[in-house]
Parts: sequence; C-alpha cells; structure tokens
Amino acid sequence: MKISYFQQVPYRSLPEDFESKHESVVTTPYHDLVTPEGVRSAFKDALDEMMFAARCGFDGIAITEHGQSSYDMMPNPDLFQAAVAYMTEQEGLETAIYPLGRSLGKTREPLRVAEEQAMLDCMSGGRLVCGFPIGLAYDANSNNGVPPMETRERFDENLELILRAWREREPFSFNGKFTKLSNVNIWPRPLQDAPHPPVWITAIGNPNTMKFILENNYGFNYFGWFGPKVTGRRIFDRFQQIAEELGKQVNPYQVGFMQMVAVAETDAEAERLYARHAEYFFRKSLGGIGMNRLALPGGIDIRGLEFIFRDPKDFGIYEKMRTITFKELVECGAIICGSPSTVRERIKEFASDFRIGNLHAMLQFGSMPTELARYNIELFAKEVKPHLSQLWSEQGYQHHWWPQRLGGKPA
Amino acid sequence: MSSIQYVQVKAWDGKVSVRVRVAGQGPALVYLHSAAGPLWDAFLERLAEQYTVYAPEFPGTSPDDPYAVKHLDDLQDVLLVYEEVIRKLQLDRPVLVGQSFGGMLAAELASVFPQLPSRLVILDAVGLWRDDAPVVNWNELPASDMPALLFHDPSIEVARKMFELPQDPEEKVKAMAAGVWALGCTGKFVWPIADRGLSKRLHRVAAPTLIVWGEHDRLVSAVYAQEFAKRISDSRVCIVADAGHIPQMENLEATLGATLGFLAEQGK
Repeated sequence: MKISYFQQVPYRSLPEDFESKHESVVTTPYHDLVTPEGVRSAFKDALDEMMFAARCGFDGIAITEHGQSSYDMMPNPDLFQAAVAYMTEQEGLETAIYPLGRSLGKTREPLRVAEEQAMLDCMSGGRLVCGFPIGLAYDANSNNGVPPMETRERFDENLELILRAWREREPFSFNGKFTKLSNVNIWPRPLQDAPHPPVWITAIGNPNTMKFILENNYGFNYFGWFGPKVTGRRIFDRFQQIAEELGKQVNPYQVGFMQMVAVAETDAEAERLYARHAEYFFRKSLGGIGMNRLALPGGIDIRGLEFIFRDPKDFGIYEKMRTITFKELVECGAIICGSPSTVRERIKEFASDFRIGNLHAMLQFGSMPTELARYNIELFAKEVKPHLSQLWSEQGYQHHWWPQRLGGKPA
Repeated sequence: MSSIQYVQVKAWDGKVSVRVRVAGQGPALVYLHSAAGPLWDAFLERLAEQYTVYAPEFPGTSPDDPYAVKHLDDLQDVLLVYEEVIRKLQLDRPVLVGQSFGGMLAAELASVFPQLPSRLVILDAVGLWRDDAPVVNWNELPASDMPALLFHDPSIEVARKMFELPQDPEEKVKAMAAGVWALGCTGKFVWPIADRGLSKRLHRVAAPTLIVWGEHDRLVSAVYAQEFAKRISDSRVCIVADAGHIPQMENLEATLGATLGFLAEQGK
C-alpha cells in the first residue's frame, strides 16, 4: 500500500464559539478572526510538517484546494507543492508530489493548471501525481462564479484539454465551449509522458463519476470525513459493483482513501492529546459548511437529487458535525485514534475489507499545534506505516497510478 | 378553476419541446414564471378571466423532460427559444407579463424583439444591478431562509401553502427534487449575478410598460423599479404596499387591479 501524508492549512486559533456564529467558508469574517502571526505560522508550520513527513519516508505528500475557507487556506495547492518539489529534489527524497485537489470544475484557466503541473513534474523529476476533483459547490460555484449546472461540463472539458496539452506532440487548436485557443503548445510538458502523469479523481459517491473513473482508468479517491463505518461499505461496494457492470476487475492500487489518524503511546494518551483538535476540526471546519454550500441547485442532477432525498446516508455524520464529540467521531470511523497497534489493526482491517491500495493519512487537523503534528507524523511513520506498506504487495497487482520513478508501472 | 390544457411546442431545431399551459379566453397574454418553476396561482386564474393566458414552462422544469435545459448554453439561446415558441403559437403581439426571473426574460424579449409584445408588465424583475442594492443570489441561501426572503409576511396562508410539500414520502422526494432542479435550470442563466447586460438593451423596449414592485421586496429591492423606469421610455411604476417579492400573492387585488387597469387603458 502507498501511504501519503495529507495536509491542509487550517487557521488553528478560531474562538471557542466560532461555530455558533459563523460559517467556515465564503462569508467567514477574516479580519475579525485572524492575527497576522496566526496566518503566517499556519503556512510555515504546514510546509514544515510536509517536509518533515517527506523526511520520515511517506510515499507521497498530498494536498487539497479550497478557496475562501477558514479550515484550509489553500486556494492553490500547486504553490505549496512547488516548494515541496524543489526541497525534496534537493534532499533526494523519493516521495510523490501529489496535489490531489486541483479542482477542474472550478478552474476557468485549465491551461494554467496544465502548465503549473507540468512545471511540478519537471521540478520534481517526474514525481507528480495529479488529483482532479470536480470541486465542492461552494468553491467552484460561489467562490469562482461557475454556474452549478456547468461545473461538471467544465470539469469534463478542462480535463480533456489538460490531458491533450500534455499528450499531443504538435500544437493544436481547441474549440471548447468554455475555452477557445488557436494554438495549444505548452512549455514545459511533464517528464512523465507515457502518456501523462497519473490522474486521480475524487468522488463522494455519485455513480456517474465512478463510472467515468473506471471507464477512463483513472484512480478513485474517497475521503473518510463522513464516517467510513457509516459510508464506506456503501461507497466501496458501489464502486466494485459499477466495475463489475463494466466488466472490470478493480485493482486495489486504483483506490485511494483519506483517513484522519492520531497515534500516541496508548489509547488513553491518544485521546488526551488529540480529542479536542479532532472536535475543533469537525465542528469549526466541515460542520461549518451548510448544506446550501455543498449542494447548490443545478449542481446535482434531478435523479441524483431524488436518490439523495430518498436515502441521505452517503452524507454519513454530516448533519451532526457542528456539535459532534470525539467519542462519536471514533465510533463512526471519521478518526482512527489510539496506540500504534490499535491504529494499524484498524487501518489494516478497513483497507483489506474495502480493498484500498493508497492511504492518505491526515495527521495534522484542526487546532493541532505543530509539535504535536510532528509527534503524530513521526510515530505513524515509525510504528504504523511499516506494518501497512506490504499490504497488497504480494498479490501480483501492478500500480498503474503512481510515477514510474517511484515504482509505478504506467498502464 | 378555468379549464387547463397543455400544448407542446417544438423549438430549437426540434431539440427542445416547450410545454405551454393555456387557459382562459380573450386576447393573448404570455406569462413567464419565476426562477422556482411553473406555478399556477390566483393571479393567473384571474387574468385568465379576461385573457387567454399562455404560460410556457422554462426548459428543464417540465416534469417529463428535465434535461431540455442541456440544449441551451446561455441567455441568448433562451431568448431565441422563447421567441420561437411565441411565434409558433401564432400569437400576434401578445401582452407579455413576467415575474422575477420571468420578469427579466420578458424585459429581455421586449428589448431584443421590440415588436414582439403589445404591452409589457414586469413584476419584481431581476436583470439589473446596483452596488448599493445588491440583488440576493437566491440559490445560495438555505431553503429555510426562503419564506422570509420572498414574503413581507411569511406567516400568511398563501406563503405557507407555497412551501407545502406532499405528505406521501415518494411524492415528497419528487417534489423536492423538482423544486431544486427548477432553480438549477433557471439559475444556469443568471448565476451568480442576474445581470447579462439588460441595462444596455432596455432602451429598445417599444411596448408600453408597467413596472410592478412589492414595496418590501427583500430579494430585489424596490429601488430597481425606477432603474427599469428610467430606461424604458413609455413606462410607469406601481409600488404595491404590504408586499414583498411576490406582490401578486401577498396583495393580489392591488397587483391585479394595477395590471388590468394598465392593460385596459392601453387597449386590449
């Protein structure tokens, strides 16, 4: 199993009563809530943590994109990844550069994405892994003004343009609905050119997106914030079932999963150290995004709406996030927290069960200070990761969604 | 209730079939509904006593063809479809009435095709923008905020009835999905700000125009009544008291009286 370190850049000292007064995105008042030092240290610490994780031997450094957000001040993951690409190259660290959230339903400049990520691949010497989510509604539609009904169409067109811009040998014209260009001929192109860097799509359960992923042989990323004990079985079974309908055998390496993890010497110590930071994350971050920000009219197809209204279980614990307790988070699996043996057993169990070949371990979350984040990263790297890395390695699967330089085998 | 019938009008090179609800008798009156989708209310019922009301359903909002909207990319496509539908219905210079989003469509049609309507009535129309009176992006709000956004007094019966959902669980699911989808279909053409340059085109409106506004409209402030009026040469404004964004629901008699009075004065 490939194990990446997953990073966000949260503002870590929001007031106690934040969630009763504000939403966490779009309208969150900036100047009332932050100090310059709080923001500065958030970026410094996050980058330090990413580099620390790279030095601890993580297989990849993964990062998402969110605009106008207090829980993840990361409007463009490529900026951060550029620093990590250079520094890891300098230090000879064989880790994947994985901006797993460059939203293509959001972007109005797809060619800039193609260029930035081609640069990242060149700067990292061919270690780029691309993550292209369709995009959260509040980010694509509210923050970037894309009509909700156009999000998916833009995603499709943007992805097509980016892959062609990387793949084509000659300049070409692109007459899309949203982007029209007479000569596409970007400099540089990615070093990984057989045919392009690995592509991953994030999905939350929409069967059409799963079908699209499988038909195009992309990687499938799923995030465990909604409580994988509630949602995991549904989502991963659905993915397997759609694969079967398409006559495809799912390779575990095609599946990626983001999981919050917190490790300490004992279960009790882990709870003592991490519980309040986990509650901070869910109450002030995801819990502070109203349903009206996640599901804007037009973004979800009418039949999809009927499906969700009939059976809202894909959203798992979302409804109670704003007041959720640590105990509930552990119960639903939104966080795995405990001693190294507790954590590795639990991860092994669900990774085997759901046939997951890539884990994105979120080890800093919410208000967690950087010293504690490093402790968590180090303990996970020493006591958990080595026990999980061999999962799937003896079953003959090839990893087609990982850079060749890092042991991947292009399809 | 007057007898209701539907006609299907094929438009857009046969790709879009627009369902039009037809009721009443008398001269032709085309009614363009709000962003929330087709709704037959007492205002239309009463108009149908004197006019033949043609109420086209916005592409995608008719129950049997939710994907019709996919054939239209921008507001220009929408206007061409509506012009084609009215032409194919063989309506000769009908009265054109529109509410909110439909008010914007009506004003756009009257601007782009000045000879299309004989008279224009717009009620609390979107389509213009003033920085000091931003129009609310209604699709961004939680559903629970809608009654207070749309009604001056959300506790009145017509307001409560408008948000009522069916008791039967499956019907409720369908109604909720259809409601959200209708907002998505119309929202596609005005997201996130319902200003597609109408202010530049309004000078082309040739039809006598009545601009009706609920005094306490919280979605699109009554200051916009004057913004329309100053750009349309033959126009007048009627501010309806005790009403929010939907004056024909909250103060039916005043709204109907103003509308019918204006139309009678301008000759049926």
